[in-house]
Amino acid sequence: MDLKHFTLNISQTKVNRFVDELAAGRFMATSCKKCGKKYYPPQADCPDCMASDMEWKQISQEGTLVTFTKIHVPPEHFAVRQPLMPFSSIQFEPCPIGILEVEGGLKIMGWIPKMDVKKIKVGMKMKASSFTLPDGKLTIVMEPI
Amino acid sequence: MRKVAVVGIGHGKFGVRSDASLRELAFEAVKACLDDSGLTLKDVDSMVTGIAGDEFALGLQPSAQVHDYIGFHPKPNYRVEGACATGSIALRTGLMNVASGLADVVLVVGVEKMTEVPTSIATEIMGKAGDAIWEYPFGTTFPGYYAMIANAHMAEYGTTEEQLAMVSVKNHYYGSLNPYAQMQKAIDLQKALTSFTVAYPLKLYDCSLITDGAAAVIIASEERAKRISKKPVWIVGSGLATDTLRLGDRKSLTSILAAREAAKTAYKMAGVGPSNIDVATVHDCFTIAEIIAYEDLGFCEKGEGGKLIAAKETYVGGRIPVNVDGGLKSKGHPIGATGVSMTVEITKQLRGEAGERQVKNAEIGLAHNVGGTGQVVAVHIFRRE
Repeated sequence: MDLKHFTLNISQTKVNRFVDELAAGRFMATSCKKCGKKYYPPQADCPDCMASDMEWKQISQEGTLVTFTKIHVPPEHFAVRQPLMPFSSIQFEPCPIGILEVEGGLKIMGWIPKMDVKKIKVGMKMKASSFTLPDGKLTIVMEPI
Repeated sequence: MRKVAVVGIGHGKFGVRSDASLRELAFEAVKACLDDSGLTLKDVDSMVTGIAGDEFALGLQPSAQVHDYIGFHPKPNYRVEGACATGSIALRTGLMNVASGLADVVLVVGVEKMTEVPTSIATEIMGKAGDAIWEYPFGTTFPGYYAMIANAHMAEYGTTEEQLAMVSVKNHYYGSLNPYAQMQKAIDLQKALTSFTVAYPLKLYDCSLITDGAAAVIIASEERAKRISKKPVWIVGSGLATDTLRLGDRKSLTSILAAREAAKTAYKMAGVGPSNIDVATVHDCFTIAEIIAYEDLGFCEKGEGGKLIAAKETYVGGRIPVNVDGGLKSKGHPIGATGVSMTVEITKQLRGEAGERQVKNAEIGLAHNVGGTGQVVAVHIFRRE
């Protein structure tokens, strides 16, 4: 699958497989065959070794929330124009996002759709999963465990 | 390395400048800078231009627009870029030109015309100053990144929304005294705290503005500086450091580690420490960023930034006055111009020309300019004779 199904902007990369795996519900990192260092988001190259011999490894989807927010004023791709809203030409339903630390310090960014932002706390245990949007694009959601 | 001094400063009006284009904004600052220094462009050897975004300029090589408009051909000019730290990186590049002997007198211009695009597009362009591939798909914006930094800082150190709002109240107060500021209106704590949420927990008054504007400085070698200016302000320290592109990859979310590194380099080069600084401009793109800057620059202990503003120690008369020009929060943040504008303010303070906002007998000043979500940081230290 084209990486643009995930990134919105960029379609050409050496790590397209990430999206196919995500579509199948798996979170994949790349790992350097020489030094074993894991990269999530995946990288085709290891800057520690300056090597490009990588293998795909599935990573844990469970971890600890390191931070979060809820963006009320969205960027263009997420904005639906509604001229009646005060202070803004934008109306949409904001959704919290967060960063989850999983195995080996790897960090997964994702949406936290089912929670009131005021109830989200740094340090919460959460699980990330893949999510298919109505337009067929893929993204990542997280919920407490 | 040769000694280098600021010998001329110029600042245009910051704001929504629907009356002027990128090149016209730059011209205002360049003209003011030449007038201040008593020089003409014939006396200037080369030029460095800081413009952060092709996407704001709506064209490739926007610095050529500025260079052409001031008629500086055939002398050298090129553009440097480092997101919101662009202006200070331009200054550092100018410094390298003079210190190395490549040039004796250099013009450094910082300019941005951000309102050329609609707000949602500007929000997108800024959001992509994080990782456009791996972060932006989650609707990240600049307030969003700093909101995540704020939530981490609040969780770890108990920093409060009231303390964030106190930074805004201070910077709006000083902005009200700065004729070049975008927002020239003092606010109270209640107004800041009840403004609408931009990215939880950051509210409207926690966020800097989308701004058009330009600033310029002329810097010169020791020999030339002494002839040009009665009050040269020496650039005695310059530190530049970097960190990961993605926020999630940082070793700390409660500190900008590149700022600590850049400050260490700059302090060492200048032979001074945080307690020697009389006045500082720091990168308050969001109120939490100013609180973290206090900590990263050593003005207080880690985690104590909220208490420093609550004790009003960063007002004029306090232990270390910070952003007494209104900061990015109130003066405005035309991204490519900001670092140069900081240099203008510190130079004014060290010359004793800051009027109502003057820090008494200021001798040593510091400018801290952060690019991206902390990916690149420049710290400069200035000293008068």
